[in-house]
Amino acid sequence: MPYLPEHDEIPNPLRPGLRAAAAPEPCAVVVFGASGDLAHRKLMPAFYNLALGAHLPGAFGVVGVSITPFNDDTFRTEMREAVGKHSRMKPIDEETWADFSSGLRYVTGGFDDPGTYARLKEKLEDLDKVRATRGNRLFYFATPPSTFPMLLRGLKAAGLIYPPDGPNFSRVVIEKPFGHDLRSARDLNTLVHDVLDERQVFRIDHYLGKETVQNLLVLRFANSIWEPLWNNKYVDHVQITAGEELGVEQRGKYYEEAGILRDMIQNHVLQLVSLTGMEVPAAFDADSVRDEKVKVLRAIQHITGPDGVRDSVVLGQYGPGSVAGMDVAGYQQEQFVGMGSRTPTFVALKLEIKNWRWFGVPFYVRSGKRLPKRATEIAVHFKQLPHNLFGESGAQRNVLVIRVQPEEGIALRFSAKVPGERYRPRTVSMDFRYGQAFGLASPEAYERLLLDAMRGDQTLFTRTDEVEAAWKLVDGILKVTEAQDGPTPCPYPAGTWGPSESDELLAQSGHTWRRL
Amino acid sequence: MNEGMYGEPISAGARGNQRATDELEVKFDKGIDLGQLRALLGQARERAGAPVERVLTLNLVAIHFSQLSWNKAVAALEAASTVHPARIVALIADPKSEVNGVTARVSVKRPKGAPFYIERIILTATGTAVRHLESAMIGLLVPEVPVVIVWGGRAEGDLLNHAVEQADRLILDSGSRAVEGLRHVAHLASRGAPVGDLAWARIFPWQSLAADVLDIPNLREHRDKIKAVRITTAGAPGAEALLLAGWFQSRIKRARVALAQQPIPAPVEPAPLRAEPATGEALPVTEGVLQGAVVEVQFEAPPVEFVIRREKNGILEAQVLGDDDGEVVHRTRLPPESPGRVLLLELKMLHGIDEIYAAALEAAARFAVLRGGQT
Repeated sequence: MPYLPEHDEIPNPLRPGLRAAAAPEPCAVVVFGASGDLAHRKLMPAFYNLALGAHLPGAFGVVGVSITPFNDDTFRTEMREAVGKHSRMKPIDEETWADFSSGLRYVTGGFDDPGTYARLKEKLEDLDKVRATRGNRLFYFATPPSTFPMLLRGLKAAGLIYPPDGPNFSRVVIEKPFGHDLRSARDLNTLVHDVLDERQVFRIDHYLGKETVQNLLVLRFANSIWEPLWNNKYVDHVQITAGEELGVEQRGKYYEEAGILRDMIQNHVLQLVSLTGMEVPAAFDADSVRDEKVKVLRAIQHITGPDGVRDSVVLGQYGPGSVAGMDVAGYQQEQFVGMGSRTPTFVALKLEIKNWRWFGVPFYVRSGKRLPKRATEIAVHFKQLPHNLFGESGAQRNVLVIRVQPEEGIALRFSAKVPGERYRPRTVSMDFRYGQAFGLASPEAYERLLLDAMRGDQTLFTRTDEVEAAWKLVDGILKVTEAQDGPTPCPYPAGTWGPSESDELLAQSGHTWRRL
Repeated sequence: MNEGMYGEPISAGARGNQRATDELEVKFDKGIDLGQLRALLGQARERAGAPVERVLTLNLVAIHFSQLSWNKAVAALEAASTVHPARIVALIADPKSEVNGVTARVSVKRPKGAPFYIERIILTATGTAVRHLESAMIGLLVPEVPVVIVWGGRAEGDLLNHAVEQADRLILDSGSRAVEGLRHVAHLASRGAPVGDLAWARIFPWQSLAADVLDIPNLREHRDKIKAVRITTAGAPGAEALLLAGWFQSRIKRARVALAQQPIPAPVEPAPLRAEPATGEALPVTEGVLQGAVVEVQFEAPPVEFVIRREKNGILEAQVLGDDDGEVVHRTRLPPESPGRVLLLELKMLHGIDEIYAAALEAAARFAVLRGGQT
């Protein structure tokens, strides 16, 4: 019998060379927690912006689900207000809104009530008829992690989850935190895999939706000049900073349970480490990219035991101080935070990646709240020259800085001759700023990620093994720092770059933190 | 520095004039003194408060043969330069004028809300002075950044050939000319010229929707079964329709591609064959349609037929017949028109040859010849 190709193997003759990316297939998005903050501030404005940019399929609808008693009309009114307030595109384009909002539906109900899922199913079937959404579903859990089990079970029981290889898709987007520690992350993954195939799971880390984070891949793998230098032969060390001016605001209760290691390191910062350290993927597809990222996480030397933590970890907690010219309270004076709290709001880590590329190159990471400014960057410090022809003043290292936020861009520090003087070098910076080079406003991270989830592209979403590898690293530290006799975080005044112990961590190897 | 000195341009032979608040002018009787032009640009930067360090990522050169043509194109070019911080160099040539000379107008301005400045140099040459425009243009290009030439004339002549040699891309608008002009464009592309076409950018929504329909899982089985395509236009087909037909023909070689006309529905916009090219101006999409515009695309993959139709309110709707009978399988909204929209689509590609366009153009030119034979 002659070989007959599967339908998916037959190439689309009309697709090659089209400048517009493929529109997502027709689909309905279900937002659980639709009356919440995330839906108002991020999700609905992102959907509207995608509609405005003609990125959504015309056959599209959104069903909001929550306990708040709205109907379709009052939900539309509520969402219009949210979009008007939080969309980056103002004012609202009436024609786009009319078309977009006609696809909005709402279901009131508790997540533990089977009736909610039955009503949801009816709404979705109605959307299939009226908006031609063809049975495709994207479920977004904009809800606390404690609700995930009941949502997954409710969807499965209502027959709203399809097999992964069927003609129609059902996918689930899960917001972080993906567990509280390695064990709970594994429990969550087990639960998720009871209901879904990994191909149907989209664990969202909004850092990966940021243009500059994606540009790190382009910078590394679309330029010939960096890759030959991107290794322990030429790189002395790497510094990654993710700092915030803000304190914990009204999130003291959450923060007391999370701390900086869970809030920033396990997800955002380790994503930056793996993107910086990864090998060239075999192809630019979801699994090839994630395979390489997870290899980096697995190659990081685990920090375990009190000695390991003492040598490689500095924890801090902000006290009262001044940030941007304003007096601010210390962490222990924040709402829902108790006096004597040992929750760290700052961490500095020295990570060692034990592989051929990075052996002997420390990756220093620091992240904290109430630092002098909001700044996220990756700084690759190249090695000193073996011999300096121009004397000590020419001995500055080259540094490549990838600024994630604010003022997204790339800067290269190098030496140049001071005019008029005899071979006196001075350090100058070559600066590329996104905002200046591209007039286009960068889309919000959620826009990119929602579109990718609708397209089924998991490249910028975290895979099970990544989540667990990151937790393994952080768990080792938490076991020491959260033990009864664990170290007390070093105090630092709000508005400084963390405790002095953080500087000492680098000084041991003759390094200093970049002044930002 | 007093106002008189500040606004006084360096002139060669003729006293410069301060035109609009943001524009400085100088006239040259003979050749063009680039040193003086650069000095004028420096003054314009100073007037605008532009920093000495500046970022320009594109040379956007516009070549026109009348002031009217330039006037129509300027909004699109300026809109494009808010996305690609650019130096715009406009060359307006009027070789038939009996007066010989060149007028240069220079301005530097910051688009609203943008963190950068755009620079604009307009050289209007009349009579024999036209011959200096090409060399002046080369001298005014910002080095190391792409050169995109937006051509506002017919796709023929020596100046065009020279422009092609200077450009990373040359963008024209075959939709603003008689469809027979497609042959000239095809000839240019066949010589390897990196040609872009605003008429091509206008049909992107039709192309995208046709491709999207074939990506729907239970319709993928029809991908290799397309036997016939029919493009229906309002009245005689324009360049866009021919390019769409050419695209289908070049992508699915075995398919029988036909063009059909339907009576022009009311209300109808004026005929598209404008006397002057409106480079960068997109065709208006209204309740009615332009004469020659595509109103429907059908492609048959027996036993099913796909129909993409332009509905009211700028919606393109795709239906499948014969499989899921009459079911709407996809819709897309035609993007709202704004100055420079289609030019920006073409500027997504800043250098190189668009092979898909070149193949579609070649087929479209054959359709144009066939239709010419019919008429």
